[in-house]
Amino acid sequence: MKKPRVCVLRTDGINCDEETFYAFEKAGAACSMVHVNQLRSGEEKLSSYQILALPGGFSYGDDVHSGKILAVELTSYLKDQLSAFVDSGKLIIGICNGFQVLVRTGLLPDRKLGEITTTLMVNDSSHFECRWINLLVEHTNCVFTKNLEGTVISVQVAHGEGKFYTDRDTLQEIENRGQVVFRYIGPDHSPTVLYPANPNGSLNALAGLCDTTGRIMGMMPHPERYVEKTHHPNWRKMPANNVPHGFAIFKNAVAYAREM
Amino acid sequence: MIQEVRVTAKEGIPDSKGEEVLYEINQALVIKSVEKVRTARVFRFEGIPGEQAVALAEKLLAEDIFECFSVNKPVFSDAPFVLEVAYKPGVMNPEAASLLKSASDLGICGLVAADSAWQYAFYGQRISQADIKRIINSLLVNATVEYVVKESPATLVIKGTPGRTGVVPVRGMSDDELQEISRDKLFLNLQEMKVIQNHFNALGRDPTDCEIEIIAQTWSEHCGHKTFKARLIVDGKEKRPLLKRLRDTTEQIGHPLVLSAFVDNSGVLEFYDGMAICGKVETHNSPSAIEPYGGAMTGSGGVFRDIAGTGLGAKVIASTDMFCFAPPDLPEENIPPGCLHPHYLLRRVVAGVRDYGNRMGIPTNNGSVHFHRDFRAKPSVIVGAYGILPALSCQKGQPEPGDLVIAMGGRTGRDGIHGATFSSGEMTDRTIDVNASAVQIGHPIEEKRMFDAILAARNAGLIKAITDCGAGGFASAVGEMGSETGARIALDRVPLKYPGLAPWEILLSESQERMVLAVAPEHAGRLFEICRGYNVEATILGEFTGDGHFSATYEDREVMRLEMEFLHNGLPQRVMKAAWKKPILPEPENEPVSDWPGLYQKVLSQLNVCSKEPIVRLYDHGVQGTSALPPYTGVNWDGPNDAVILTPLLGKPYGMVIAHGLNPVLNQIDPYFGSLWAAAEAVSNAVAAGADHREMALIDNFIWPFPDEELLGALDLAVDACVDFSSSTGMPFISGKDSLSSTYRGKDGTIIRIPPVLCVSAFGRVQDVNLTVSTDFKKAGSQIVLVGFRNIAEMAGSVYYQIQGYTGNNLPRVNPSLLNEVFTVVHKAAASGILQACHDISEGGLAAALAEMCFGGGLGAKIAVPGSEQADHFFFNETAGCFLVELPPGSDPGLIFGQVPCVKIGETTSAREISADQSGDVLFTLSIDDLKQAWQRPMKEVFR
Repeated sequence: MKKPRVCVLRTDGINCDEETFYAFEKAGAACSMVHVNQLRSGEEKLSSYQILALPGGFSYGDDVHSGKILAVELTSYLKDQLSAFVDSGKLIIGICNGFQVLVRTGLLPDRKLGEITTTLMVNDSSHFECRWINLLVEHTNCVFTKNLEGTVISVQVAHGEGKFYTDRDTLQEIENRGQVVFRYIGPDHSPTVLYPANPNGSLNALAGLCDTTGRIMGMMPHPERYVEKTHHPNWRKMPANNVPHGFAIFKNAVAYAREM
Repeated sequence: MIQEVRVTAKEGIPDSKGEEVLYEINQALVIKSVEKVRTARVFRFEGIPGEQAVALAEKLLAEDIFECFSVNKPVFSDAPFVLEVAYKPGVMNPEAASLLKSASDLGICGLVAADSAWQYAFYGQRISQADIKRIINSLLVNATVEYVVKESPATLVIKGTPGRTGVVPVRGMSDDELQEISRDKLFLNLQEMKVIQNHFNALGRDPTDCEIEIIAQTWSEHCGHKTFKARLIVDGKEKRPLLKRLRDTTEQIGHPLVLSAFVDNSGVLEFYDGMAICGKVETHNSPSAIEPYGGAMTGSGGVFRDIAGTGLGAKVIASTDMFCFAPPDLPEENIPPGCLHPHYLLRRVVAGVRDYGNRMGIPTNNGSVHFHRDFRAKPSVIVGAYGILPALSCQKGQPEPGDLVIAMGGRTGRDGIHGATFSSGEMTDRTIDVNASAVQIGHPIEEKRMFDAILAARNAGLIKAITDCGAGGFASAVGEMGSETGARIALDRVPLKYPGLAPWEILLSESQERMVLAVAPEHAGRLFEICRGYNVEATILGEFTGDGHFSATYEDREVMRLEMEFLHNGLPQRVMKAAWKKPILPEPENEPVSDWPGLYQKVLSQLNVCSKEPIVRLYDHGVQGTSALPPYTGVNWDGPNDAVILTPLLGKPYGMVIAHGLNPVLNQIDPYFGSLWAAAEAVSNAVAAGADHREMALIDNFIWPFPDEELLGALDLAVDACVDFSSSTGMPFISGKDSLSSTYRGKDGTIIRIPPVLCVSAFGRVQDVNLTVSTDFKKAGSQIVLVGFRNIAEMAGSVYYQIQGYTGNNLPRVNPSLLNEVFTVVHKAAASGILQACHDISEGGLAAALAEMCFGGGLGAKIAVPGSEQADHFFFNETAGCFLVELPPGSDPGLIFGQVPCVKIGETTSAREISADQSGDVLFTLSIDDLKQAWQRPMKEVFR
């Protein structure tokens, strides 16, 4: 079967690239590690790929703001390539630092490069937090969560700047257009703004977001860290046939890209 | 002129850093006059006009959604106190490079320098100058690396003219004069100084400052391990040198999995699929005591480079941290002059490990924190790192004459140079501020991209040999690499952070994030291509020669020419006397327990037992997607495990296990049995998780007070314990480190010695992670079985004794050959899949282990104490090498554990309580939730 090509973007300080690469390969894609320098020099072109993955990490040390320096670089040098990639209906996923980059390029929530309308701020706790949390998958047209709508998934968060914030109107529009893909939920499985179930204090418990086409998605939690049974802290207590919750996200992307 | 941009949160937006600072001021400093703190970033740009500064503010620095900015004017007008804190000039600010990069990405040219700082505004009518002074000195500013900006600097560019290379006239010096220059900066004894004098007498010339410095460096205790290599006279009888004992034992064992022991930057074991795993554990006590954040960061950075510099280059896959501090609630007046408070030290050291490991993308997933008031002058900060590399790449090549000496990574500055001979007279007004011996703030991103490039170069087969620049900088890195051949480098080729370094400073600088490679000339081009692709700077410093000399030039003048033979083998072996005397310590009264609930909670909330989860949550322990047994598991993800297990080959079931053990208090009672305990604990932790001790190796870290005759005697016994443990379990030590300077001498004559620390780390391979075990109870109605040899009368050093204010004398005497059997049967049981849960017994005894298994499982336990045993000793004895296991009902412990003592002590229950009775009498019934609260409280108070 045809293997969609995934561009796993690397640069100084990106550090979740290998597990993201592995998750997509396991889901049936053919991945390449591509350094942003290779795109700038023309040695690599986004157009040769169906999926662009922005992995987690601390791109350029998260200096000034998390993901900011890389976002500026992308909007300065790769604006045309990115627009063409998006307009041709291809997929982009940003995980953790990748989500921060997508928001700071303006690709989320509105696919408008250079227009920043939302942000990811320092956690309310004011410190980095690494823990497993539960997410509710909302009903959206998001390509990455097809058939997961309404389910609860466990994943790990690991970030210090994950508090989704924007003005009231923008938030309302995002809700009205059904762009919220994931929400942090409490023990009673309802969305919460309370620590630690909501690790950062995100407005409306927002943990992940897609554009109106559902083809660009960003999320703070790390689905690539739960693509094997043994990734879950309590796998020893689970039935042997339990399906890793993060894996479906990568499979959905690959399945969609196959049809391109 | 300099453009200043200040960015702060808009009105109504929470300022979380400000709130954090306010919390510290109110809680840690107990200053209540401050009611609100607001913070702002300050950015400075040199060489651009104001309108470009505005453009930068809008496009890069301030996000309009939640921030506002001001250019060249204050941002806080309404606060009674406003102050700005910046790094001292010369202390590298990692953010500066990003500012320059983004500015050029945005098409803003002409920018010559950039810098950033923090501004704090303090609100509250009753704030006094004294309050602000304390906030500055004990919270916001570490004078080693930071300062309060009184007025904006005139320039951000550091200028300076290099000092000349001087000659040190040692030949004409009297013994007193020799000792004098040694005291100043060389720290060698007279015998060693005379060896140097004679050497240069024979050469008929005096040494240059470069030469004398590099000899002192190479011969220092830190690099030369003079004590561990010394001839030892113990109680009048000569014994083999400490280092030789450890290495001989490893050779005798001849373990089939060991690919490299003691010779490389880390010890290497065979893994699976043609891969190998390696481990190294380092100490970073002195820097961390002065500047805990930078000290811990550079400690992590250094040990990561040891892994990256193993063989032909390894990938770092795990980070560990073991700390010893004084209790965080120690009254201020108990802190010796010149020392920092443990509450501050603990938080800042953790922050340093967090920020380096997280940014590097290396999971920090195994560690511990120990508390004892004798660490109040000097903490012990131990950081470990583990890696993976192809087995075929695990041996270094031998550089040949003509191969290139290539420096890679960060630039060279004055970081870490002892400032003794550093003269400010040779510099401009600006460079006078440069802190000659700055503790560097690490730059993890620099190191990360360097590692990415190293792995690419290794895979391309370009590296012949590689090592990191740690202590001694280029001097020791190039000196070691070229010891067989000789090497010649040009110091003026070294890329500098700022001008003005004298040749000897360039040679000795300990700037972080640098590695040295030996590369064949035909591979240099490809290597530079790779480095460019990863934004890594690489420079040819010189070449390896055949002349057996280490020589260096500066602007074509030779500033150093030393025989490698003299440099590496000229150091005379020391002869040292050792004699340990067993102390007699007071014993507690043996009174029956009156208040079980209070006692149980007191033990669980003792600092060495209490939960460290708030620390672990600050570390990214899931990055790299390799976790198979994380630090915490259980229904609420808060039950602690004994070891960590990773699957470094994604998609493969092969596991790497990492664990460790230490118990300083026991070494105060008896360093031999205290050290046996540490080794037993390290291995028990791994075995409890299902690992096979026959597929593991050990790493030693000795952190000792200054070894006078008595403490050297203690060290001698500790090494004997390691040797005995090693030979009777067949587990080799393959890497180690000693740090023998943890004694504090106050001006008033006070002497504070830390309790001697032996930290033993254990790592190895696990065939199938699906057959590993966590500590959380899985089901109600299971059998709880105690496995292992223990004499519960051996209570000395236990937490139970400590909370009564005693240490005692009768400490656990672990028998390593019996342990061998225990490890074997417990592993066999785990591999058979019958162990539902397993937890080894350590600080807090059976009581703590049992409670933690209940916390993880969200279950309770009903315990029957054997009638013959004293109940408090039964619950609180801390003999290492004993295990609590959960077995399915009906299974027969006797069949599973054979000859090894095993006794069913109770059952798991769905009722969330721990109850115990003995011979029909009820001892207690305790609520799991109360116990958990007591166990979690202490660290929650330090790390909110």
